[in-house]
Amino acid sequence: MEEKYGGDVLAGPGGGGGGGLGPVDVSSARLTKYIVLLCFTKLLKAVGLFESYDLLKVVHIVQFIFILKLGTAFFMVLFQKPFSSGKTITKHQWIKIFKHAVAGCIISLLWFFGLTLCGPLRTLLLFEHSDIVVISLLSVLFTSSGGGPAKTRGAAFFIIAVICLLLFDNDDLMAKMAEHPEGHHDSALTHMLYTAIGFLGVADHKGGVLLLVLALCCKVGFHTASRKLSIDVGGAKRLQALSHLVSVLLLCPWVIVLSVTTESKVESWFSLIMPFTTVIFFVMILDFYVDSMCSVKMEVSKCARYGSFPIFISALLFGNFWTHPITDQLRAMNKAAHQESTEHVLSGGVVVSAVFFILSANILSSPSKRGQKGTLIGYSPEGTPLYNFMGDAFQHSSQSIPRFIKESLKQILEENDSRQIFYFLCLNLLFTFVELFYGVLTNSLGLISDGFHMLFDCSALVMGLFAALMSRWKATRIFSYGYGRIEILSGFINGLFLMVIAFFVFMESVARLIDPPELDTHMLTPVSVGGLIVNLIGICAFSHGHNHSHGASQGSCHSSDHSHSHHAHGHSDHGHGHSHGSIGGGMNANMRDACQVLLLRLPPEYEKELHTALEKIQKIEGLISYRDPHFWRHSASVVAGTIHIQVTSDVLEQRIVQQVTGILKDAGVNNLTIQVEKEAYFQHMSGLSTGFHDVLAMTKQMESMKYYKDGTYIM
Amino acid sequence: MGTIHLFRKPQRSFFGKLLQEFRLVAADRRSWKILLFGAINLTCTGFLLMWCNSTNSIALTAYTYLTIFDLFSLVTCLISYWVMMRKPSPAYSFGFERLEVLAVFASTVLAQLGALFILKESAERFLEQPEIHTGRLLVGTFVALSFNLFTMLSIRNKPFAYVSEAASTSWLQEHVADLSRSLCGIIPGLSSIFLPRMNPFVLIDLAGAFALCITYMLIEINNYFAVDTASAIAIALMTFGTMYPMSVYSGKVLLQTTPPHVIGQLDKLIREVSTLDGVLEVRNEHFWTLGFGSLAGSVHVRIRRDANEQMVLAHVTNRLYTLVSTLTVQIFKDDWIRPALLSGPVAANVLNFSDHHHIIPMPPLKGTDESNPVTSTPAKHSSPPPEFSFNTPGKNVSPVILLNTQTRPYGLGLNHGHTPYSSMLNQGHGVPGIGATQGFRTGFTNIPSRYGTNRIGQPRP
Repeated sequence: MEEKYGGDVLAGPGGGGGGGLGPVDVSSARLTKYIVLLCFTKLLKAVGLFESYDLLKVVHIVQFIFILKLGTAFFMVLFQKPFSSGKTITKHQWIKIFKHAVAGCIISLLWFFGLTLCGPLRTLLLFEHSDIVVISLLSVLFTSSGGGPAKTRGAAFFIIAVICLLLFDNDDLMAKMAEHPEGHHDSALTHMLYTAIGFLGVADHKGGVLLLVLALCCKVGFHTASRKLSIDVGGAKRLQALSHLVSVLLLCPWVIVLSVTTESKVESWFSLIMPFTTVIFFVMILDFYVDSMCSVKMEVSKCARYGSFPIFISALLFGNFWTHPITDQLRAMNKAAHQESTEHVLSGGVVVSAVFFILSANILSSPSKRGQKGTLIGYSPEGTPLYNFMGDAFQHSSQSIPRFIKESLKQILEENDSRQIFYFLCLNLLFTFVELFYGVLTNSLGLISDGFHMLFDCSALVMGLFAALMSRWKATRIFSYGYGRIEILSGFINGLFLMVIAFFVFMESVARLIDPPELDTHMLTPVSVGGLIVNLIGICAFSHGHNHSHGASQGSCHSSDHSHSHHAHGHSDHGHGHSHGSIGGGMNANMRDACQVLLLRLPPEYEKELHTALEKIQKIEGLISYRDPHFWRHSASVVAGTIHIQVTSDVLEQRIVQQVTGILKDAGVNNLTIQVEKEAYFQHMSGLSTGFHDVLAMTKQMESMKYYKDGTYIM
Repeated sequence: MGTIHLFRKPQRSFFGKLLQEFRLVAADRRSWKILLFGAINLTCTGFLLMWCNSTNSIALTAYTYLTIFDLFSLVTCLISYWVMMRKPSPAYSFGFERLEVLAVFASTVLAQLGALFILKESAERFLEQPEIHTGRLLVGTFVALSFNLFTMLSIRNKPFAYVSEAASTSWLQEHVADLSRSLCGIIPGLSSIFLPRMNPFVLIDLAGAFALCITYMLIEINNYFAVDTASAIAIALMTFGTMYPMSVYSGKVLLQTTPPHVIGQLDKLIREVSTLDGVLEVRNEHFWTLGFGSLAGSVHVRIRRDANEQMVLAHVTNRLYTLVSTLTVQIFKDDWIRPALLSGPVAANVLNFSDHHHIIPMPPLKGTDESNPVTSTPAKHSSPPPEFSFNTPGKNVSPVILLNTQTRPYGLGLNHGHTPYSSMLNQGHGVPGIGATQGFRTGFTNIPSRYGTNRIGQPRP
């Protein structure tokens, strides 16, 4: 636990300027030139990427990366002089740099392969996110302390944007290209990647989107991991220079083999010098230097925000105009054949996703206002607020998920009831998945939808199981009687569930009566037989459970039975009446019981006993009367009761309590509270500062007491 | 009081009874309006379901379920009127207040189950997206929206208003609040509408209509039929988000849990109770909400063997009564059967006294009973001076309390503070005998304080 003095000082004395609230800010005028520079660099980077897409059409990807790394390493070694300046690098560090270079190569391979797959526009949208955006995205998705609703919204926007690219982007041309003929690929590597994507069963450009998302995550992880190394080596720039150099050496043999074995599509390497130079400068060097400078001068969040906006906008603009004659001046450098291609053009989906990307980058990169979950603990002598930051370690000290699952499984298997529900659930799920799998295999929509149906029904079982698990938890301050009542509530919800299912079956059957669809009876028989078998097993398994007179595990059993009988008949129109009747009957009784328990009714099965018990109580010696008798079932095992008893002044209260407790315990009440009142109590109460009405009520009670025991009262 | 007839078997059929209760409710002028709205709702829902069928849009279906939920909320409103008219019956000894809670719970859960069904359907639709006809889509949206808003604004639905206030914020509300907070930074005037949080029902109606409009637009422009499924999922998720906190709240009431917001107050009261004179331990505390709002509870209090049960009972009840309206307190002592003759000298003393004490207070009580009704004071002072203070010793002796509380901090000064107290009492009531015991009892002044301080830090189950 660490304490920070004024960690989040609101409007500190220094920050009174333009910023208003918030961290102390450098005046924006001084930053303007950096922002302009950053925007300009990002624009150029977009140009560079479009250029490199054109280049990649003629140059093999490994060669391309090799040339890129070579050029970058050349310039950086020239500028940084990594060998002549700084401390010497140990052998250990060289190994680390080697690893760094390998990782860097893989990431750039993924990146440029994604570029060939889905074009520069989509690559820019997906890949050009700064680390902070991705990190806060991941922290929203995978940790509980996301940082408020704004971040959640940002994460949702990001996901929507990716989904837009995946689903609503009809990149027709790429779809056409997806049917790539064999032998289209130049090397084993690209072929491997293609087959990997083909294995996922998505079109190429969608595969590219996924690949780029993966590459983005890798990049962020890579940057985070290399931070320490860059400090060790003596600066990020030096590390970059060395790493590029090492990767050039790494790629060198591969490129040589490649250029020997395959014939190149390039007519003249000389004409490609200019485009390569621009790409090297715009994409690698300029971007790197400006980024590192801006991150020094500005906050990271601001840097990310100002960086992402221009690059997305310029990506959109170039995506629209790249093949247009206006940009021919820009393209003129590229002597590659100028086809009138319309591949990877703008589509509605891309525009929408670009908007969402911009929004999400904006939201996710903004510094979270709440900061960490600091709690205000007081004020320092100067008047600045002091916060107490609990580290994440304190919040996540609870057990891990696998362990939790293991423990709960153990608990489930301990008890007979829940074990049976569990086995039945497993059987059900197995059947469902077999059905789904077979449906997918044979491409039968009926089977798949049936599988979903069953999954829907399984949720009732899951709930019943969870309730059975929870009902065994220890009583807490809030659940003072224990968690047993949850089973009853889940029984009630199960009843509602059945009602909903019955309603939908009814609706469907009405719809089918009006407009009968042609049934595909192809798979009907095996499925319904299978369903029936599962159902029968369920009934057998639960026939033991049914002799429990109460408790809501019943509810879940019922649900499973009925959902299945409904299920087995689900596809044919006959039998609806039958299953309906049984659903109705079982449900009605069950629901009424659950309702009565939830409404704290006097338990019907104890009515007689309680009545006789109350009569017995009245005959106790010294007892005048009783009032407010409340008896209710709390859960399957707890029947609670409270009663107020008035006695004459000469009897011992504890004896009365003992007698009454005995009588009521015999009647089945096992959680009792008995309030024994004498006349003195009412006098005390009226003496204490009770309200006027209470006093009035008390006096009435007293009157009746007196009236009753006129003769018996001693004195 | 007296015999309660537990066995009054329902004579009439279920529907007959229902009709009777319905007549009872319908007699009220206010329920006419609800019935009228219910009738309109039914026709509206019928039309919407028809349109859902004709457009084949699942998003509209999801939105129609909100209209059906409206019907449930109207029924809940009727039930709350009925509950107000009904008195507790022998079987339902707590009254029917809980029916309201149950109705709210059931309708929110039903809405969520409907949303679950929509999710399932949309999962199926992702596999094979059917064609959507936009013909009645927009009409249906606006009919449903206007009707929902109209119902929401014109009918005062007490139970739902309460639950939506008391339940925790849904994620939808949270996001809207977050957005509108930044919006209100620009236009401060809007804060009255949007902040601190919007009505969840109005919010979900508007958001659902918005999603449907987008669906309509995209389908019209580009035939993106998948948008329909996506917005159905969005509406279903929003329904979940809106209904979940409410069903959790009402479910917790049904589960007889202690509402978290009163725990602080309850703790304070129980601490007070456990420091009362003679109280050794408070246990088996069960506090729960009966309907929306009123607390019920029971508690067991263990007291010292020499303490006066009725007085402790009165004080405990008096303390807790401010918060808990339906309260039962069981007082118990250990070893109460053991006769007074056994045990060591100290215990014997105490027992002697306590026997004494059981008999002695009666005469003065009887006497004061006739003269003025507001005197439980003499009996109360016959016990040792309190640790935590019995700071309400009747209305007529307030100056004494001041003196007493002033001397409290000095601990040992208690005895000094005590002397005027008792002497004054002696003067005031002129009851002989009490003074004598008083002198005897000052020897025990630190007993209660010892027990009292022990009890404070005790963790409760």
